[in-house]
Formats: sequence, structure tokens, C-alpha cells
Amino acid sequence: MTECESARANFALLLYGELSFDQEERIESHLDRCGDCRNALAREKALHHAFDSLEITPSPSLLRECREDLAALLIDEPRPVAPGWWDRFIDAITLRPSAGMLRPVGALSLVLMGFAAARVIPLGEASGFMSAGLGDAIPGHVRYVEREPDGRVQLVVDETRQRVLSGNVDEQPIRGLLLTAARDPNDPGLRAETLEILNAQAQAADIRNALIFALQHDPNDGVRMKAIDGLKAFAADPEVRSALKYVLLSDSNRGMRTQAIDLLVGKNPAYDREMVSTLQEVMQRGEQLVYVRERCRTILEAMNASAETY
Amino acid sequence: MHLKGLHVEETALIRAAQAGDHDAFEQLVRAYDQSVLRLALNLLRSPEDAHDVYQEAFLRVYRNLNAFRFDCSFHTWLYRIVTNLCLDQMRKRKVRREETTVLATADGPLDRMDAVTEDRADGDPLRHMFSGQVRRRIKEVLGELTPRERMVFELRHYQGLRLRRIGEVLGTTEEAAKNCLFRATQKMRAALGDFI
Repeated sequence: MTECESARANFALLLYGELSFDQEERIESHLDRCGDCRNALAREKALHHAFDSLEITPSPSLLRECREDLAALLIDEPRPVAPGWWDRFIDAITLRPSAGMLRPVGALSLVLMGFAAARVIPLGEASGFMSAGLGDAIPGHVRYVEREPDGRVQLVVDETRQRVLSGNVDEQPIRGLLLTAARDPNDPGLRAETLEILNAQAQAADIRNALIFALQHDPNDGVRMKAIDGLKAFAADPEVRSALKYVLLSDSNRGMRTQAIDLLVGKNPAYDREMVSTLQEVMQRGEQLVYVRERCRTILEAMNASAETY
Repeated sequence: MHLKGLHVEETALIRAAQAGDHDAFEQLVRAYDQSVLRLALNLLRSPEDAHDVYQEAFLRVYRNLNAFRFDCSFHTWLYRIVTNLCLDQMRKRKVRREETTVLATADGPLDRMDAVTEDRADGDPLRHMFSGQVRRRIKEVLGELTPRERMVFELRHYQGLRLRRIGEVLGTTEEAAKNCLFRATQKMRAALGDFI
């Protein structure tokens, strides 16, 4: 195998960072000398990026359906029986071979010490369970939101118990809870449905800010899609434009970048210096999506701005 | 420090769930279920099958949680269950030849994945060109890989797992996982090289 063949055979593993330091070093030094292999690596990178286009993100509704169906299944499941002290004892003496012949004695001693300590030390704040935060109730956690036919909004909120709240989005307690639910870190389905409700009120600054925050920071593609839907009518707002530029430059989702460019430039783009510099930066970063790249190039040409000079 | 804290919290959650704390189990599910669903959906390319794998995987976790003895990380244990379920499903499909996600409907062919993917073409010709030809070809090539090659490629490329972890999940060595990834990428380069 020639040096070129050997280098090219390992390009994929190189891009995945799965080669040893020495192997990487050999390829890097070969690339310094071989233009053909540099071009081949560029093609390999393009192939690598092309795979990204096929990644699917589950929709919030599919995730919610899965969670609800699992919850329903678990209702009929018998509760698991906790491992007893005998199971733990067996684990201790069988899974720790380093103690050699003294293993059973040492393990038994530990069990006895633990038992004695548990009898002596009172439970309370020192309990590991409490310190891990599992014993804390989470007040005001919004579990579910739904729009009612009459335009009011219904929320299910976890406190020490669940209760149902009902009211309009412009009523302060409802609005506050919705804004909290829009940032719930555990449930993208809830965030997406909350944003769908808030979208209708995006003329209000606090709600628009929540949408802008989701647009820039939410890790779920579906939630960011909802946010951008709600902000479409406000594409001329400076803060919204700034968020859209961030999306265009940074969002990993191709659909998001496409919507961002469409909203930023509109049908008849007027010359805007800041816009020109954003579009040039998109070109400079080597945007992979043909549609976005071509739109940037066309608009820059229409604005008599260079697509090559940065 | 932060990771250590997370590990301690996860251990506490598992122990609480083993003791019958339903909320703790739900928190465990929520910590991992998005990545489980994404893995199943990307491998099986069918929302219905991904849904079934999700249910079956977490049901098995629930039923066998007391047999979990911290020999490996919870993530590895869970992924072992999920990947086994997905491999079974993929092998059955190879036999039944049910790879397609396209359904014949009264309005013409309909790709069920269109209901899942976030970035649709919206009728734009340039976007159609990109998402049409390249995606179709990559889909075909992925369908031609063996289930194991497909699994290793999925775990490395889309899930971002290191080969060492992939070996643990699939019950094999890092070297075997590396060979599998190597074969998968070679096949795809051969099939797509002229296209890119």
C-alpha cells in the first residue's frame, strides 16, 4: 500500500478523532507534502458533512406520545422489589476480588459497620438522599399546557399535588407559569406547546423575549422552529434580527438557517451594512447548505457587495 | 467536579428507583429518553418502530432495574438494551425487506419520515435538489450496510460515542468497533465518492 493509499484509508477515522497520536502525525506530515491527498481529505470532509443532513430529530409530539404511553404501561407493572441486604452482601463479596482471602471478612465487616453507623447516626439533613435534592418538592412546575376552544389556556402544575389552572394568557399568574414552562429544561414537548400558545401574543415584549431566548438557546430543533414561527411577524425588530443573524451563523439545523435567511432578507432586500457583513461571514464560514449559500451570494450581488471580500 | 456531582446524583436516582420511587425512575427516563428515541428513529427510520423500541427498552429497564449492579454505567446498560432491540428489528427487516418508509396513498407516495424531519423542502427548487438527490443516495447506502455496521456508524457519527464506549455497548472490543466503522465508511465512500 502506498503512502497516499494508507493515508486516505484512514481519513474517516481521522475525522472522527479515533487515530492514535502517531497515526495522526504520520497523516498530517504526509498532507503537508501531498496536494492530491489534501484535496481527497476535503472531499472526505464534504462527505462527512453530507451525512449530517440525514439526521432526524424526534418531534416533540412523538416524544410526548412515547412518554405518555410508557406512563400508562407502568401503571400496570408491579413495583420492582428493592434488593435486600442479602443481595447487597453477595454483591460486596463477589464483585470485589482485590481483597483476596479476606474478601468475605472485610465485606462482612463493612456491612456490620454500615449497619451500626445507620443505627447511631440519625437520619436528616446528612442523608444522601436529601442532599442529592431528590426529597425536595418542586413548587410551580408546569407539567402540561393546552389551549381551550374559547381561547383560554389550561395548565397542569406540579406542587405538592397537581392542580388545574385555567385562564387567559394575559392574566399574570398564567402568563408567569407559561414563561417558566417555556424554559423547562426537562420537557421539550412542553416547551414546544407553550411556545405555540405564546406565539399568538408575541407583540408583548416579555413573550417576544422568551421566543428570542428559545430561538437562540433551546437545544431542541422543534422548539426553535416554534420560536421562529412566532417571530416571523417581527422580523424587522432589531432584537429579533439580531437573533436571526445568530441563527443564520450558528444554528446546526439546516431548516432553521434557511428560515433565518428568508426572514432576514425578505423579498426586496434593501442595502444594510450590518446585513452585508453577516452574509459575508456566512460565505466565509463555508456554509454547507446550497440554498443558503446561493441566497447569500444573490443578495450580496443585488446589494453590489462582494461575496469574496471580507 | 460537575461530572462527579452528576454521577453521584444519577447513582442516587438509580438507588431510589430500585427502592420503588416512581418519580426517581421518571427522572432517569427523562435524562435519557430523548437520545434513546433519536437513536431508534435514526436507525429504524420509522416513528412507529422507534416508539415501540422506546416502550420496550424502558419497560425492560423498569423490570430489571434491581438486577443492575453498577458493573457499568447506567448509560451503557441502557444503550445495550436499546441497541439489541434495534439490531433485532433491523435483522427482521432485512429478512422481510421492509426498509422503505414510503407509503402508497390515494394522493401519491408519502414518506412517513416527512412527519418527523424538521427541515422540509417547502417547495424551493434549490433545497429540493440538495435534500432530494444527496439524501436519497445516502439513505440507499445506509440501507446497504449490515446491521452492525449501521449501528456502529450511527453511534459514532450521530450519537457521538467514542469507539471504546461503542465496544462496551455492543459487547465487543474497541478494535472490532473500529474495524466495523472502517468498513462502513469505506463502503459509503465507494458508493458516494462521485456524488460529493
